Amino acid sequence: MIAAVNQRANGPGAGRAQIAFSGVTLNLGGKAILENISLDVKPGEFLCIIGASGCGKTTALRLAAGLYQPTSGTVAFDGKPMLAPRRDIAIVFQDYGKALLPWRTAFGNVSLALEASGMAASQRAARIDELLKKVGLPNHAGKYPAEMSGGMQQRLQIARCLAQEPKALLMDEPFGALDAMTRQGLQDEVLSLVRASDATVVFVTHDLEEAIYLGDRVIGLLPHPGRIGIELKIDLPRPRDQLTTRENPEFLRLRRELFDFIKASEA
Amino acid sequence: MNRAVLYWRAASFAVAAGFVGLWQLIADQRLVSPVFLPGPDRAWASLVRGFASGDLLDKLLGTLEHMAYGWFVASIAGIALGAMIGSSRTMRSYVAPSLEFLRPLPVSAVIPVAIAMFGLTQSMALFVIAFGAIWPMLLATIHGFAAVEPRLYEVARSLHMSRLAIIFKIALPSASPDILAGMRLSVTVALILSVVCEILAGLDGLGHWVLLSARAFRSADLFAGVILLGVIGYLTALAMSVVEKRLLKWRSSGH
Ligand SMILES: Nc1ncnc2c1ncn2[C@@H]1O[C@H](COP(=O)(O)OP(=O)(O)OP(=O)(O)O)[C@@H](O)[C@H]1O
Ligand SMILES: [Mg+2]
Repeated sequence: MIAAVNQRANGPGAGRAQIAFSGVTLNLGGKAILENISLDVKPGEFLCIIGASGCGKTTALRLAAGLYQPTSGTVAFDGKPMLAPRRDIAIVFQDYGKALLPWRTAFGNVSLALEASGMAASQRAARIDELLKKVGLPNHAGKYPAEMSGGMQQRLQIARCLAQEPKALLMDEPFGALDAMTRQGLQDEVLSLVRASDATVVFVTHDLEEAIYLGDRVIGLLPHPGRIGIELKIDLPRPRDQLTTRENPEFLRLRRELFDFIKASEA
Repeated sequence: MNRAVLYWRAASFAVAAGFVGLWQLIADQRLVSPVFLPGPDRAWASLVRGFASGDLLDKLLGTLEHMAYGWFVASIAGIALGAMIGSSRTMRSYVAPSLEFLRPLPVSAVIPVAIAMFGLTQSMALFVIAFGAIWPMLLATIHGFAAVEPRLYEVARSLHMSRLAIIFKIALPSASPDILAGMRLSVTVALILSVVCEILAGLDGLGHWVLLSARAFRSADLFAGVILLGVIGYLTALAMSVVEKRLLKWRSSGH
């Protein structure tokens, strides 16, 4: 079981990249934000992106989502160039407070994704209940976002993303605004949700430990302009565990390596 | 909290009762000639008489009709135009200067134009009322549509929502607090302009009734009309705030 999960990234279809950046450069406002980024994310892989503030992590994620078009180079998904956002790529925004519809309840917010996919109204309710249960909000269907804690709102955003049945889940510092305990709980939830759905994940964070804990691979960006500065394969056993994984000598070695990288990149 | 509400209700009722009492006192003492100031008793009697004969009810319905039509036209046009202008940055930059020119124009300056165009007719009244009442809604809607959280448009894009769905599921609800506030303001504007138009054009309504009563020194009838106008203003504002509270339940909830 553990071995199977670990091998997932190298399983069938491993040869072909699901998300492929080739020679991607992006200028915004006459300034190069990202420069010559080439990167393949395999189907089912959990890729984490780290880097100092302002180095272009969010921008890279928005390119992967099709919300930006590269100035030069190409971004492809399943071998086809990304010209616009796709319904099977879901994005979890860092600022959950802005990404949810405040006038809709938790139920209504998840419903939005199902409505957009054209699911019949009669089938939605059961699916929504199932999704809310999956993210641990089964008893909060009738609550408005304003009545929910930050962690609950972020869970809700994840539920809406899962409603898209995404092949790829892009997450932009999804737990950045949450306290440490909530954060660790959600990390484990995301791992088990992802394991169940087989989705590819690109996860942006500025928390080095979080990146190592979650990822199959961690990429570090250098700033001004953003480019790939380090790439680490994470071979820690799965399922990961908040205590044992974080005490694993390999974990500590990786953490040290990333820490030195960030230090050097900021110098 | 409930007790506080009750307390304020009682207090405001007491103040209102105090005013009526004071009014009665002034009238009884003849501090102001009864030709100009009837007591509340006489105003009330006139109200009852007016409704019994059906005269006053006709006038009341006339005013409500002017107000409702004008407000309705202004709402539809204001929200539609505001949505169009507010949702596009280019439209905003093209149209904003013209709006800034038109907006501070007092409606009274438009009345002669409307009279020249339509004569002293219902159409003139409709035009003037709608023109005056459209501004709060137009500006509020533009603001509401311009202030939609851009993140939500990105959510909509990644869900491939249709243009229509984006307007009705995202932009309109997001702008609804602004729009409703605009609608509440323009109800009052519509009432004021209905009365003005009735007075100017002699259209059937409370404005006309008040004018005729004043000319004939029927002060009790005059006050009956004014009281009714006050009641309309109060009740419509109350109705709007109830609707607002209902529709904006999501805002007041939580922290
Ligand atoms: N629309 C834009 N126009 C011009 N510059 C931009 C734009 N968006 C982002 N930038 C710049 O691009 C750089 C990278 O921004 P980005 O948001 O991708 O950084 P980030 O790595 O996500 O940072 P953080 O960790 O603070 O979220 C920043 O220097 C930012 O100022
Ligand atoms: Mg960012």
